[in-house]
Amino acid sequence: MKFSEEEVQNWKCEACGEDLVMREVVFSYMRGTFHVDLPACPKCDQVLITEELAMGKMAEVEKILEDK
Amino acid sequence: MNEHVQVPWMTESLCPTCLERISAERVIDGNDVWLIKVCPEHGQTRTILWRGTPDLTGWQRPKVPSQPPVCYTETLRGCPYDCGLCSNHGQHTCSALLEITQRCNLRCPICFADSGKEAETDPGLEVIDEWLNSVRHACGEKIVIQLSGGEPTVREDLPDIIRLARSHGFGFIQINTNGLRLAEDPAFVRQLAAAGLTSVFLQFDGTHDGIYRQLRGREMFADKVRAIEQCVESKLGVVLVPTLVPGINNQDIGAIIRFGMEHAPGVRGVHFQPVSYFGRYPGSPGNEQRLTLPDIIRAIDQQTDGLLQVENFAPPGCEHSHCSFHGNFLLLEDGSVRALSSKGSCCSKPAPASEGAAKSKEFLIRQWAAPDVEMQDQKTDKKTCCNPPKVPSLDDFLQRVKTHTFAVSAMAFQDVWNVDLERTRNCCIHVVARDGRLVPFCLFNLTSASGETLHRGNNHANHSA
Repeated sequence: MKFSEEEVQNWKCEACGEDLVMREVVFSYMRGTFHVDLPACPKCDQVLITEELAMGKMAEVEKILEDK
Repeated sequence: MNEHVQVPWMTESLCPTCLERISAERVIDGNDVWLIKVCPEHGQTRTILWRGTPDLTGWQRPKVPSQPPVCYTETLRGCPYDCGLCSNHGQHTCSALLEITQRCNLRCPICFADSGKEAETDPGLEVIDEWLNSVRHACGEKIVIQLSGGEPTVREDLPDIIRLARSHGFGFIQINTNGLRLAEDPAFVRQLAAAGLTSVFLQFDGTHDGIYRQLRGREMFADKVRAIEQCVESKLGVVLVPTLVPGINNQDIGAIIRFGMEHAPGVRGVHFQPVSYFGRYPGSPGNEQRLTLPDIIRAIDQQTDGLLQVENFAPPGCEHSHCSFHGNFLLLEDGSVRALSSKGSCCSKPAPASEGAAKSKEFLIRQWAAPDVEMQDQKTDKKTCCNPPKVPSLDDFLQRVKTHTFAVSAMAFQDVWNVDLERTRNCCIHVVARDGRLVPFCLFNLTSASGETLHRGNNHANHSA
């Protein structure tokens, strides 16, 4: 999941009013740990997870790691 | 029974002598759990069910029973005499097993199907076609079809049978084999793969020939290795299936897992089956001749020096909690192993059994097939750095989990001494009887102490024991 510089610049943090910047974010889910580059607020560290990412690859990880 | 006996859990079982249904108690005695039952005519039987930790009391995965969507038999005498399945059954079919021959190219001292003697004529393609129709009507197409026997590879028309199953829409076809033919006939392996075979359940009792001489009557380890190589070459997923017998190969559990991991991702996992006493076996078993699930879990931890740990294993969501355990492990590029599963909470809410069956089918179909390794190799080739980052990217993690998850599981089949009808009523592995009925695996194979069968060889349910 990649954002272009242009796409990132279209986003601002609603709480802080800061422009989002790309940042490496480490996720831990169940027993898996991985990183994704995501737009993040440099002030409050909130990250933007698009519906495409949440419903796509992250849902896929969840399905695979979920116990049978 | 002694002073340590605590509250029993009531269930039902069978008399080993007359096969009549009798009440039974699961009794905790110290760290162990026993099945104790009394036949009014033939007396008391006391059989070990669960030895030591993890404790059975915490080993629960409660389920709300789900009646099969299609039932081929009525409930008349009740479990286990009406199997077909009947409307009292509590779980959907996850795997349907078709015995396509009773012939075998081995004559093992232990064989649940008692194969290889006075072999009957193999069922023709038209009979197998009817069986597949019956399975599809009752279970749909998204299940595991396992072709078994006897030894299925003795049939020259095995590729035709696989194509036939595929033509019914079944997407996952597995053979249950000793691997001898696969080792010596690479062209045959290629034919099976081309016909649509997905996976090979490979009898694999250990990592040295002393084990095979005792269990199978001949040396076979080199054949097993060749069979694995041929299957991987033809992109067939391989699952190693050891029959564990105390005193013969229970000290080889760790070595089997290490062997499997060394041959991953072609080898998809190890599925242990502690010996159960039905079909053909040397003699009536003592309790010291039984391995229980916790015995195996602890042995895995000890014999892998903690690489795989007791807490990495969980009870099943599909079959009854007392029937199996499983754990999934991610094999990382640096050779380390990361557990992906854990036992979890002991107090989870009961879930519909059919939900567990659906998840299990999805998992098996994904895990037991060959991995898409080429994609992984291409990704790896692109790397320019020899020290990959400790935390992988989402894409790399996802790809690695898909290809390099190694599954370790065990299933405790039940014989006439330890059979628990609560467990068989919630079974998801069903054998297709000659007349197309579906019968829980253990009940199909179960034999009395004198060798009388309950379902095998009978054409009709509601058989009078």
